[in-house]
Amino acid sequence: MVERLKGRNAVVTGAGRGIGKAIALALAEEGANVVVCDLGVATDGTGADKSPADEVVVECQKFGVKAVAHYGDVSSFKAAEKMVKACVDNFGRIDILCNVAGIDKPRMIWNMSEEEWDMVIAVHLKGTFNLTRHAAPLMREQRYGRIINCVSEAFIGGPSHLNYAAAKGGIATLTYGTARELGRYGVTCNAFIPRAWTRMTADEKVIEGIKKRIAAGLMPQDQLDKMMRELADASYFAPFIAYLASDAAADVNGQIFLTSGTEVGLWSQPQVIRKVPRDWKTEGRWTFEEIEKLVPNKLLVGYVNPAPPQPEEKK
Amino acid sequence: MADRLKGKNAIITGAGSGIGKAVALALAQEGANIVACDLGGATDGTGASKGPADETATECQKIGVKAVGQYGDVSDFKAAEQMIQACVDNFGRIDILCNVAGIDRARMIWNMSEDEWDQVIAVHLKGTFNMSKHACVRMREQRYGRILNTISEAWVGTVGHVNYGAAKGGIASLTYATAWEMGRYGVTCNAICPRAATRMTMGPEVLAGYKKRVESGLWTQERYDEVTHVATADYLAVIPAFLCSDAAAHINGCVFGASGANFSYWAPAHESIIFGRDWDKHGPWTWEEIEKCMPTLLKGYVNPAPPEEKK
Repeated sequence: MVERLKGRNAVVTGAGRGIGKAIALALAEEGANVVVCDLGVATDGTGADKSPADEVVVECQKFGVKAVAHYGDVSSFKAAEKMVKACVDNFGRIDILCNVAGIDKPRMIWNMSEEEWDMVIAVHLKGTFNLTRHAAPLMREQRYGRIINCVSEAFIGGPSHLNYAAAKGGIATLTYGTARELGRYGVTCNAFIPRAWTRMTADEKVIEGIKKRIAAGLMPQDQLDKMMRELADASYFAPFIAYLASDAAADVNGQIFLTSGTEVGLWSQPQVIRKVPRDWKTEGRWTFEEIEKLVPNKLLVGYVNPAPPQPEEKK
Repeated sequence: MADRLKGKNAIITGAGSGIGKAVALALAQEGANIVACDLGGATDGTGASKGPADETATECQKIGVKAVGQYGDVSDFKAAEQMIQACVDNFGRIDILCNVAGIDRARMIWNMSEDEWDQVIAVHLKGTFNMSKHACVRMREQRYGRILNTISEAWVGTVGHVNYGAAKGGIASLTYATAWEMGRYGVTCNAICPRAATRMTMGPEVLAGYKKRVESGLWTQERYDEVTHVATADYLAVIPAFLCSDAAAHINGCVFGASGANFSYWAPAHESIIFGRDWDKHGPWTWEEIEKCMPTLLKGYVNPAPPEEKK
């Protein structure tokens, strides 16, 4: 055990498997006590099982730290409060919160059910808010805290699970806002975009789906090979999250990092890159003719339509 | 009346006042028939009245188009379906959807109630999904559609209402994803970050809040002047009208800043600086490697809210 997080107490959600588990272990390895939160559900949010959280607790304890399990549902405001309280009751206070819990229910928008939307938003976005909301007053009071959220590249688009994308976009902005509100109190809030080999990215069904797409000519074989090459286990980048949770990252706040076994990177924030000003008091309203010219000639130079219209397929 | 949207049928949420109303009138001005949706509530989501939606419908009719009012709650999946249906029933089909309805319930995160979070997410984010989902079924079938969402500069971080910010961040991503999924069917989805003088941005309570920020040192006087010196929404409404027209057939998945004083393009977040390595050879990242990367990764970075001494 190393000791960069010695005496720190952490809550990690979704810690029973995959990325959450790798983070819980990385924090424990650096000496942090860990509340391992996991409902033990399938990737689509169904079922419940205490054993994933329990197993991670045992693995954390092997590093010589204290660890306890919690099996609550992050999308419940009250359950989230209990998870944060479990950390305070067991270890004395909460220093680190890692929001990793998530589910996926992919569907194209025209077929997506209300329930598919609601569940994904509830677990990711509300779950992250819930834990953060209950940790924030304690961290603010003690003037110390590290909040680390899990986002995804899906937040800038891509087809087939816009519920997931919207949840992640919401978490990205929640990260920016939390950083600004709590930074002055010695609390940082950052996010990471993981690329890892987990049951959500690479279970048998996912791989089968990819192989079908390759067979149908929708995806080149290269892409699967590249994926296989690039996707290390989450334990390969988990030290990066431990770093963000440490004192060494005291001045890192409101940022989104790319993390995988092969790469670490920084994501820029969305920003205005081209701007046409106008003196509305003297020039009056924009006209349609002006707008029509400004868009292609000034604002969208170099823009490529991500999904141009296609001719209708013959049935 | 111009005729760039002649024969098109549009549904606008939050059309009873402010930006929604200005957008409805701008589309009507270009010849579109309008379903003006508004619950008629206050900016915090309380109350309800048919008056605002009906007034907008009447004003649209004066321009010479067909227009009806709808009073459903966008956060209700079924009500959203009924409003889309109203457009089809009244005008034959739906060509344009503008999601503008929104509320604000400001609170610092450590004091925010579950209800304050839920309501703001429900109206903005779920409301936008609800309307889009029901519109997309039809737009995909007819292989034509324009969806325009409303986000906010709060998308890149805001103090005092993370619920509102998160909802807008969610809508930004929803915009990108809808554009990806629907583009091939001749449907575009774009968004604007509007800045306009409305009851939400310039009401007496809001102005009092801005003044408090100046007094407490959170804002400079220049920031206050910039925020309060804003044109009304009718100054920017031609921008959404353009994005809803045939002239914008190839503009998809874009976010524009729109105000009387500025028209801008927002680039999405993107990977900027990257360190690569062979994980097979090097194993997990080490603390030392990470420490070496950080100064380069964060070159030029400024902490948006550095720690302060306890007062």
